[in-house]
Amino acid sequence: MNTNATRMLVDATIDALRRHSPFDRMEREALVFLAERARLGYFPKDSHIVTPEMGPVSTFYIIQRGKVLARQSGEINVTEYSSLTMGTGECFPIGSVMARRASTNTYVAIEDTFCYQLTADDFVQLMQMSQQFSRFCTQYIATLLNQSRRQLQVQFAQRAAEQQSMSSPLSSIVTKAPVSVGPEAPIRQVVESMVSGHIGSMVVVDDKQRPIGIFTQSDALKRILLPGLSLDRPISEVMSAHPHALSEHAHVYDAALAMAMHSVRHVLVVDGEGRLKGVVSERDLFTLQRVGLRQIRQAIEGAQDIAVLRQAGADVRQLALNMLAQGVGAEQLTQFISALNDTVTRRVIQLNLAVHDLYGIEWAWLSFGSEGRDEQTFSTDQDNGIVYLCPDIMNREELELRLLEFAQDVNRDLDAVGFPFCKGNIMASNPELCLTLEAWEEKFAKWVRVPEPQALLNASIFFDFRALYGATHLGDRLRMTLLKLVGSQSVFLRMMAANALSVLPPLGKIRDFVTDLNPEHPGCVDLKVYGARLFIDAARIFALATGLYNTNTVQRLRLAGQRMGMASDETAAIVEGFNFIQLLRLRHQHFENEHGRPGDNFINPDQLNELDRRILKESFRQARKLQQRLKLDYQV
Amino acid sequence: MKWMKKLFGGAPVLPSVSLPADQAAALAAWRKRPDEDFARPHFRTRYVVVDVEASGLNMRRDRLISIGAVAVSGGMIDPLDTFGVVLRQDEVSSHENILIHGIGGSAQQDGVEPVAALLRFLDFVGKAPLVAYHAEFDQAMIERAARDHLGTALELRWIDLAWVLPELFRERIDAQAQLDDWLGQFGIGNFLRHNAVADAYATAQLLQVALTRGAATGKESAQSFFDTEKARRWLRRAG
Repeated sequence: MNTNATRMLVDATIDALRRHSPFDRMEREALVFLAERARLGYFPKDSHIVTPEMGPVSTFYIIQRGKVLARQSGEINVTEYSSLTMGTGECFPIGSVMARRASTNTYVAIEDTFCYQLTADDFVQLMQMSQQFSRFCTQYIATLLNQSRRQLQVQFAQRAAEQQSMSSPLSSIVTKAPVSVGPEAPIRQVVESMVSGHIGSMVVVDDKQRPIGIFTQSDALKRILLPGLSLDRPISEVMSAHPHALSEHAHVYDAALAMAMHSVRHVLVVDGEGRLKGVVSERDLFTLQRVGLRQIRQAIEGAQDIAVLRQAGADVRQLALNMLAQGVGAEQLTQFISALNDTVTRRVIQLNLAVHDLYGIEWAWLSFGSEGRDEQTFSTDQDNGIVYLCPDIMNREELELRLLEFAQDVNRDLDAVGFPFCKGNIMASNPELCLTLEAWEEKFAKWVRVPEPQALLNASIFFDFRALYGATHLGDRLRMTLLKLVGSQSVFLRMMAANALSVLPPLGKIRDFVTDLNPEHPGCVDLKVYGARLFIDAARIFALATGLYNTNTVQRLRLAGQRMGMASDETAAIVEGFNFIQLLRLRHQHFENEHGRPGDNFINPDQLNELDRRILKESFRQARKLQQRLKLDYQV
Repeated sequence: MKWMKKLFGGAPVLPSVSLPADQAAALAAWRKRPDEDFARPHFRTRYVVVDVEASGLNMRRDRLISIGAVAVSGGMIDPLDTFGVVLRQDEVSSHENILIHGIGGSAQQDGVEPVAALLRFLDFVGKAPLVAYHAEFDQAMIERAARDHLGTALELRWIDLAWVLPELFRERIDAQAQLDDWLGQFGIGNFLRHNAVADAYATAQLLQVALTRGAATGKESAQSFFDTEKARRWLRRAG
């Protein structure tokens, strides 16, 4: 070794590096260390420099000259998304070499390329030596995450650009002037103008142009032709009254949601005064989405077997992913997923009713937990039960057996279509959860009167029930009973509040977040247990206290907030906090799914970008505020 | 000294040089170093890329002023495995010559005593195959200096990239070309033209390219590069 030659090359390397960030602001001493230890290697065009198959990364590369393409590996997205071309002065793979794990990207030289190479040990030492370099690396990881998220959105935006975005206002897709008639118009005239104008539906409006009904082509067959109704009768006799209407400022996904929830094919668009501005049909939305709502719903409703439903279940998830990428908020998204999952569940039930004769029995299918609250995320398992009435003339045991056999098949099929069995056996096929209305009422009463820990846990799952199919009024009756029970036992809500307060938002005194609560996931926060659930538990207590029928957390917060006299901006801030946490969970589950892992709720705050981290912190503060309110209200 | 006579006995044209004992021992130690196995694949071979600066371009008359050398080991350039030396001159080279390599009069006079400089160079090289562009000149200047100052022929093997590159990259330049043409082909820069170390560094990067292409086309050892060069020279003469 000759020190003169080395010093000369080191100086030359430093001069070259100094033209690029972060080396331009790195300390001289650290630069010398880097330049002395960086060995120069050559990679011809098209050669692979780093690939995931190479295992844990032990070398850090700085491009001296040439171009390197970084491409996200994995079978799901092999398209251009999150591919990145790097040139002179850029470094890779920062994240992998820091974590000493295999790279998730493939780095290919797309030109003849020379790279300075540093061993992982020297890299670590350099980070310790240079604050600038260390900051650069950590920030880079945050930006990369951000970047890939943005690129994800770009990818979906491109797809949507051929059509239109789900988040554009309804007024943007209503192009034709609405065709409408008064309620007195004779059927003949209406049908004639529908035929001549090639219109599928006619809106019936009052004298102020406010829609009062809708009449569609398919109605003609069922309501006029078959009953042999006179064509001179007024249209108001055959129209569907109370059509679903949305403001022209509502978003396209609101219309999609309304169609999914109410199983209608048309939604009317009205202005601020309720006057008809147009009609949005499923066909209009179909042109917006390749994996269309209409397609999915038709597939679900027309499905004759489980295989078709399984595909539909996958389509629901895909559509939800698209909506996530288009920036649809968590509130709409979770409702949307729940609504379509409901449709799938209903169809599974219908298919099984063809085999199991339950005629003459009054029963309803109940959903619990997140499904009951209409806020399902991507990863969701079954939580269901059955409520039924047993008239005196029937044998209860025999009835129960029939329902259990039916429930077993439904549970099995739901598992097959993509809702895995519940690990805690919270399923309708469990005899404990296939009960008469009286038995349910008794169960609830027991939990409310003796609020021991298990009872409180049960309450947090089962009190968010919702009747999904069958005699849904049984659900209403059960809700009424529950609210009465809770009203008469003030100690119960107090115990619920104490229970809810046993988990605190993970806000650290020194660090921003407490991330060491789960030893299996160091550095991470469980956003379900220490995030969403804080809001959900408080909202449940508020809802029970104010006699609300609603199960959805956002609705509970808004409505109960109103009844309790909370300032509306205060409620809005809490709702926003909850929605943000839900959004992070959805994103994370999406990310995990993309990488072939089951979606969990463990998020590493260090990997969030600065903005997201701040919002997350604020969201936890909102949870704390909510808890302080509980503390005050219930003196615990 | 009997052993020295034995050592240099076979080369009657060599001037008789008597070295001080320690330098003679250093030279003998270098001689005893085992020969390289030239059949080894490139990635297991240490090549030493050499560039020299002289007082002019006449291989017989002009004097060696400096040597720069950069090792390419396992296909990689390690900044710690490099060499540079300026040889002390009794007579400063011409003003025009100084303008080319930038080694001024006082730097030339302050250089390392030639025997020590050459011994250091040999210690750095070992028996590694040497590489240069238009290697005849570098080889001739170093061999002549060794003869004059050490009283010995070095008998090191050289690879001339000016011959090997056109064979490896026929699609680019299938003829004799200037070093700068090849550097331009691969976008290789030179941070200090006509400085022996900087030139050797640039040429070393060219060797990295050549080794990679060679390994991919069956010319995967130093020996196959010797053969390539030989065949190409013969072809040129015949054609």
